[in-house]
Amino acid sequence: MNLDPVQVMKGQSNPKDPTAAPVTASSNGDGKGAWEEKEEFDQGHLGLTTKPLLPKPENAVTIAVSSRVLFRTETEQKVYEQKGVEEYLRYQVEHENEPFAPGPAFSFVKALEAVNARLRELYPESEELFDIVLVTYNHAHVGVRLINTINHHNLFIERFCMTGGSSPIGYLKAWQTNLYLSADAEKVREALSEGIAAATMFMSNKLTEVSQTQLRVAFDGDAVLFSDESERIFKAQGLDGFFQHERDNEDILLDRGPLKDFLASLGKLQKKFYAKGHRLDCPIRTYLVTARSAASSGIRALKTLRAWGLETDEALFLAGAPKGPMLEKIRPHIYFDDQMFHVEGAAEMGTVAAHVPYGIAQKHPHKKSLNTGN
Amino acid sequence: MDSMVRNPDVKQRDAAQAVVVAVSSDAIFDPEVEQVHGATEPLRKGDAFSFMKAIQVVNERLLTLNSDETLLFDVILLSNDSEEKHSRIIASAKHYGLDIGRFCFCNKEDSIESLQSNEVKLFLSMDTNDVCKALQKGVPAALLYHQTDPNHQTEDQLKVVFSGDVIGSSEEMLHGLREQGFTETQLQGFKTAKGSVKEFAILMGEMRRRFGLEGSPLCTGLMTVWSSRDVCASALKTLRGWGLLVDEAFCLAGAPRSPILNLGFIGNTMKSSTYVKEGRDYSMYYGLEV
Repeated sequence: MNLDPVQVMKGQSNPKDPTAAPVTASSNGDGKGAWEEKEEFDQGHLGLTTKPLLPKPENAVTIAVSSRVLFRTETEQKVYEQKGVEEYLRYQVEHENEPFAPGPAFSFVKALEAVNARLRELYPESEELFDIVLVTYNHAHVGVRLINTINHHNLFIERFCMTGGSSPIGYLKAWQTNLYLSADAEKVREALSEGIAAATMFMSNKLTEVSQTQLRVAFDGDAVLFSDESERIFKAQGLDGFFQHERDNEDILLDRGPLKDFLASLGKLQKKFYAKGHRLDCPIRTYLVTARSAASSGIRALKTLRAWGLETDEALFLAGAPKGPMLEKIRPHIYFDDQMFHVEGAAEMGTVAAHVPYGIAQKHPHKKSLNTGN
Repeated sequence: MDSMVRNPDVKQRDAAQAVVVAVSSDAIFDPEVEQVHGATEPLRKGDAFSFMKAIQVVNERLLTLNSDETLLFDVILLSNDSEEKHSRIIASAKHYGLDIGRFCFCNKEDSIESLQSNEVKLFLSMDTNDVCKALQKGVPAALLYHQTDPNHQTEDQLKVVFSGDVIGSSEEMLHGLREQGFTETQLQGFKTAKGSVKEFAILMGEMRRRFGLEGSPLCTGLMTVWSSRDVCASALKTLRGWGLLVDEAFCLAGAPRSPILNLGFIGNTMKSSTYVKEGRDYSMYYGLEV
């Protein structure tokens, strides 16, 4: 039974038509039918006058962020760790009118909103937009402070859930989340295991300036867009074994990785800009930044992307060279990598990097791996 | 005229101190399509069944903390059933060991009066009309809706979720509704709804405070279905002013509520009241989502 009030409304007579046949509440047990025929309120009268309508989750690209990555909450974290949850909540309420400072995901979220603004200009009726939701394990006591902060920074976040400690995975699924960003690796792992693209973000003290007009998203290849198959081969058979394997399997597609669908959703939005003649100045730009080398192992990666009907605007094959300097040139709003070594390296140079805790690299975090090899 | 039957198996609460909740028998026990005369086996579980069990857990924990506790849930089963079904209802309650203090048998027309005379703090039913009528008379009420998977409900925690749309509503917002065509009577109804949920919210706040932040059998929450985040913030502050600091908060801004409410771990859920205006149905989410 579909209880989505908006969907039930479709096919009904125009609710604003005063001559429409009255819909009566039916009795006992069937009450749900009439109950669900909720009219779409004129949101202008409900305190949403200056804000555009929000898309339905299935049409939008839903990005869920936790409070700790959207904002800086180190002070409060310390209170929690040192003095316990009661004191932490009391502190939050006491400082309710002090907005939090921006966190690692902040510029990414701002860039998403900039893309939305452009999309709304070109497609005013469309719901194919980014929908940013705040999903936090925080207790609702922190709610007022979070809302005050969202207002202070003029963010367009209308949907949130504060679960007071319970797992938000169910809500992530209910809202068809396309990407979940959190400061907590455990929660990110849980999301990944449930098939939700997710990554852990860390606060960095150095942040290079990023574009205000173009969203830039960079992805590592193996174990991010693609499966960790190559990592496994490398660990089992070494670099030569890896190269041989890639040559032998050049025409066999790599398996998908956890962020493949997210790249696809970005591509879908890009095409909307292209359709209106904005190919060269598209406000979304994607990058593949891989340790594979262009002449050899990179071919398989490109063939796979092509077969999936996906592309990135730029593909950078580093053949094992460090990623930091390249990322510093690109200045993405976010860079996804499965290896902490690279995430840390990127952060050192001021790039916002997010860790995707997926695949074999997680089991041997300090050992030499494909991407640090030569 | 109603007939009140005390349940001998359950220790009677002090109704003046307790949180008196009336639940329609059609919600606790599955209303059978076919009336089988002379049937004696226990009635099947209805949609509010796990809610009943969760209430029981809260009561038990309260008494564990303080054996003299008087702020307990006191459940009245309200039945409009024919007389021949009365004993079967009582027997079914006994069979399942339900913590029902009193059975109230009356005609449908007399239900509201019974609710009022018993100073019910909340009335729960699956019938939209009954809930509407109760609200219009100032009896706090909420609609129970069909849970898709009764086995998926948790019975060890009672989750009570309040509506942010009504609690956070302001004069300004109601004015906007006036422009939408709502009559003064209806707007008054919204205000009544907000007023009548206040008492229940205060009681829930008190009860919630009996337990610590973690491991509480009672979990409180706020859900704003279509209003903006500022209405949600306003609702959080209002509830706080009433002594209720909720554990969870959700702001849906029009996103479908049902996937969230239907999730097993959120426990039992009840619908809100429905406000019917000719030609349109407006769900004014006011009361309890448990």
